[in-house]
Amino acid sequence: MENMQAVNSFVAAYLKKKGFKEAEQLLEDLQNKESAPIDFHNDPDLAKFIHHFSQSEDDVAQYQDGYSKLRSWTYSSLDLYKHELLRVLYPVFIHSFMDLVAKGHLQEARTFFNAFHEDHELMHSRDLQKLEGVLSQSHLEEMEFARSLRQNKVNIKICQYSYDLLLQYLHKTQSTAMLGVINEHINFQVTSVEPGSISDDTEVVTLIGSCQDAASLINQKEIHWGLLEDSLEERLEKEGGLLSDSEKTEAENKEGDVDDSKKRSVEGGKQGASTKKLKKDKAVNATAKSARPEAKPTPAAPRVKPELTLPVMSTEVEQSILEDLRNRVQLSSVALPSVSFYTFLNTHNGLNCSSISQDGSLVAGGFSDSSLKVWDMAKLGQQAGSSTLQGENDSTSSEHVAGPNGVKRSYTLFQGHSGPVYSATFSPLGDFILSSSADTTIRLWSTKLNANLVCYKGHNYPVWDVQFSPVGHYFASSSHDRTARIWSMDRIQPLRIMAGHLSDVDCVQWHANCNYIATGSSDRTVRLWDVQSGECVRIFIGHRSMILSLAMSPDGRYMASGDEDGTIMMWDLSSGRCVTPLMGHTSCVWSLAFSCEGTLLASGSADCTVKLWDVTTSTKAPKNEDKSGNPNRLRSLKTLATKSSPVYSLRFSRRNLLFAAGVLSKNV
Amino acid sequence: MSIVPKETIEVIAQSIGINNLSDDAALSLAPDVEYRMREIMQEAIKCMRHSRRTILTTDDVDGALNLRNVEPVYGFTSGGPLQFKRAIGHRDLFYIDDRDVDLKDVIEAPLPKAPLDTGVVCHWLAIEGVQPAIPENAPVGAIAAPSNGTTYEQKEELPVDIKLPVKHVLSRELQLYFDKITELTLRKSDSTLFKEALVSLATDSGLHPLVPYFTYFISDEVSRGLNDYSLLFALMRVVWSLLQNPHIHIEPYLHQLMPSVVTCLVSKKLGNRIADNHWELRDFTAKLVASICKRFGHVYNTLQTRLTKTLLNALLDPKRALTQHYGAVQGLAALGPNVVRLLILPNLEPYLRLLEPELLLEKQKNEMKRYEAWRIYGVLLRAAGQSIFERLKNFPPLPSTPAHALWKSKEKVVTEAPNKRKASTEPMEHEPALKKIVTDGPTTVSANSSPSPMQVETVTTLTSPGQYEAGQPSSSEKMANRVGKDGKILKKSAILNQIWKDDLNSGRTLVTLFELFGESILSFIPSPEMSLFI
Repeated sequence: MENMQAVNSFVAAYLKKKGFKEAEQLLEDLQNKESAPIDFHNDPDLAKFIHHFSQSEDDVAQYQDGYSKLRSWTYSSLDLYKHELLRVLYPVFIHSFMDLVAKGHLQEARTFFNAFHEDHELMHSRDLQKLEGVLSQSHLEEMEFARSLRQNKVNIKICQYSYDLLLQYLHKTQSTAMLGVINEHINFQVTSVEPGSISDDTEVVTLIGSCQDAASLINQKEIHWGLLEDSLEERLEKEGGLLSDSEKTEAENKEGDVDDSKKRSVEGGKQGASTKKLKKDKAVNATAKSARPEAKPTPAAPRVKPELTLPVMSTEVEQSILEDLRNRVQLSSVALPSVSFYTFLNTHNGLNCSSISQDGSLVAGGFSDSSLKVWDMAKLGQQAGSSTLQGENDSTSSEHVAGPNGVKRSYTLFQGHSGPVYSATFSPLGDFILSSSADTTIRLWSTKLNANLVCYKGHNYPVWDVQFSPVGHYFASSSHDRTARIWSMDRIQPLRIMAGHLSDVDCVQWHANCNYIATGSSDRTVRLWDVQSGECVRIFIGHRSMILSLAMSPDGRYMASGDEDGTIMMWDLSSGRCVTPLMGHTSCVWSLAFSCEGTLLASGSADCTVKLWDVTTSTKAPKNEDKSGNPNRLRSLKTLATKSSPVYSLRFSRRNLLFAAGVLSKNV
Repeated sequence: MSIVPKETIEVIAQSIGINNLSDDAALSLAPDVEYRMREIMQEAIKCMRHSRRTILTTDDVDGALNLRNVEPVYGFTSGGPLQFKRAIGHRDLFYIDDRDVDLKDVIEAPLPKAPLDTGVVCHWLAIEGVQPAIPENAPVGAIAAPSNGTTYEQKEELPVDIKLPVKHVLSRELQLYFDKITELTLRKSDSTLFKEALVSLATDSGLHPLVPYFTYFISDEVSRGLNDYSLLFALMRVVWSLLQNPHIHIEPYLHQLMPSVVTCLVSKKLGNRIADNHWELRDFTAKLVASICKRFGHVYNTLQTRLTKTLLNALLDPKRALTQHYGAVQGLAALGPNVVRLLILPNLEPYLRLLEPELLLEKQKNEMKRYEAWRIYGVLLRAAGQSIFERLKNFPPLPSTPAHALWKSKEKVVTEAPNKRKASTEPMEHEPALKKIVTDGPTTVSANSSPSPMQVETVTTLTSPGQYEAGQPSSSEKMANRVGKDGKILKKSAILNQIWKDDLNSGRTLVTLFELFGESILSFIPSPEMSLFI
């Protein structure tokens, strides 16, 4: 028999060398038929025996030996099945390592790690960096990442044939250690599809701590991503832009206002009254899940009722917004936006964040010396004698705030924090600023009074990010304490606490309809939370490093997230799946912004570029993506290089002018 | 096995006063130390990311220690990156180069300059998706745009259209032409071939791509060759020819050309030999300047004012050399009689007082200087004379008197009244001066420096040159008719008033001029007027 096998393997090797694929397969098929594989998954006794055997054996050398053999076998396997088998290697590797650590063989664990970690460096470098530091059993317990790895099984999709091959190999080599690891930590999902059709699934690429099943269960929940009813845009559409005279608009606005307040008062008490609407949404969602909604035109996004009581806007503000909407430039892949860039000079490496108000007239910078500085660009323009600001015609006399030592300053200085300011956000009307700091507080400042109004205390650790909701009044914050919180301006206590992330919550963003917030975390997931219930309604898994920025499309269907490596991912909120990854940036994506009609995505990065992406092509042709298996990439329309200024923040104004801010740095 | 060996633990233990640390303790502490270090670094990286940086600093580590409730490590925050030095004799032992600083030195050292305050500037990163080539944006070359666009497109599938610097393609023929012309200008400017070349420059139609190169060439050579008279003259001739060429749109390059031209007019020294007739060059350049002002004065309305200011400054500065004064006077004179009247005549008296000692044999012994002074005197005289001549001849004839009658009864008209002096009665005695006037005519229009009375003059100035060019008294009839027609439109009384005023003015100037120049000015005065004057 052994002789026979030797001959067989020789023949197989020969055929492979000569490239006779078909003959080779035939031969292997033949072999498989001869040696009927023992499916130990379906045979609990055997599995238990083997498992027991591997445990009692406790031979440290077996891991190293077994793994290296498995590895060389995998690498020499058939090309067709190789990439499937290779995916098995990584979980085997990390679990073997952790087994060794758990059993107290630290020295061996380290040599094992050093010997093989390079294979996985490309795909999982960050995980490996973390695991490298695990040096005792107690570390395994302590480390969130390792613990979740130990507790959960890894799902690997594999085709029948590869599975058989693997079993056959393990059976043949009698490497009980490997068998034990595979049995304990890997859950094979054997499918009978063509080999090679199984693409790099997100689940495989990132071994995420939380249970896959839980995540997919969460993602079953329904969400209403539609826009708010009776929004200004909608009103404008109704008007059809035909009304050019402002008087008529005003009249209609007033009517609308009356309607609005009526509706609100009616709706205030009973949420259940809108069940009809919900049902309708459900139907829409169902269609979205089953058949991709290519027939549905984008502007007709479903409308939902607000779950929060929304602040009432004054008529003048509405007027100005409507005016902006009417004057909006239509952007598309052929009509790119103009970009106005604000460069911070002489920051001495102290600028932590920047923020631009809705109309671009105010720019705020948060500094590591605990200060928050706000520049009024209108005054700056007057000073320089050149005003590049959009719609900035008021000629108020420029008065500069004199510093304590009499030196004229071009900005307003807000002092109050006692730690680096990590984030700042303008209210939609630009009359308030929120800033979050390492001193665990969030402060509310008034740009009219130039004073601190409120200090919100609640987080226990540095607050990384704070964002005003699109309607103002409410805001969300995220912190190192692994929670995100919802606040309203008039309460010093948070309204909701969203807990669930396994690591720092690094960024937060509101959904366009204010009913949801999205949070990005160092645990490499993005979660979507229902603001009303505080529940997690979506988990988006796919990033390979810390999430740094989030943006919601104005129609509420999509979300973009950018990470430390420069990858941007587009997510479909209803399905919870990645539409497509956007590759191109080479460093951290600090900021993302959708254009007002949702046709373009702008991304700003530490690699000193602003990139513009065509979003319409990708979302309109999801069919292609399903068929071909490999997602068609979103088109990068344009790369705008700055002069060695990493781009810190981006914002589209209502008229679709893109504002960007960055700091001029010498060492980039 | 780990990054932190147990020896390190032992050393640290010793340094904090634990001498009897057991081996086992060190062994088990080492991995834990490493784990804690990694943990701190992980948090530090988070702090770095949230500070929007890609380089880890000591501040980040302090922040991470803060997060873990550990006291930060002091003493590393200030200054730039730490310098590690290798310990001598050890292969992989490093230490931080921490020099001892004398406290006294630190106290006595002057305070460093306060760092600049943070500011924000604004610019367009892109306008409708296209990056403008402004200094605030990254230089286009830095985005790796190779020299020819074709390879760029091939290798880059992304549609990145950067506005590349405009590439100026010169045909081989034009390059040869340019080389030839420059060669001739530099070497053989007295050959007949050069004259041919000048004609070609003035007439050929396809030369426009070369204009920037010529402009550069001229300004370059003028600044370099101030000692080479013939070169300068040749260059000015090239400018003249370029200006003459109707196919060349030279306006955008004027600002580059003008400094060179003005240099050739008012430079202290042009050419290094006495034999060099730099006067001629100055005269020629003055003509050139005048023609430039004539042609482009209406496009660049600041051109003439700037020019006259420069020239006047040169004239009124007594420290300047006489040659410079000459150039200035010549330039101003070329700009037309109105300029002379407005700018030179008021300054004439003090200037002549200055010039007087230079003129006299006993005061100025230097032959050369005296010659120069006389030269200026001559040119001043001419300028003033022309101005006054222009003035006198420009009075419009009264519509009431028929021109031919007037022509016949010359004496009578003259004696009748001073306001009957007319240009038409002017005998053709100053041929060169008249030519000057011909060229000057339109300039006075563009100069526009005089108030409303000028309007009256202009009518005749525009019409008269043609008449003089013809040089025939018989044609004066036609002119008179024309003027008569014009005159009918004007109110007779207004004209009379105007002329009275003008006459008074010009009479006064004439008197002063006579006082200054003596008899010599009289040659410029038309005879009928002269008779009146005398």
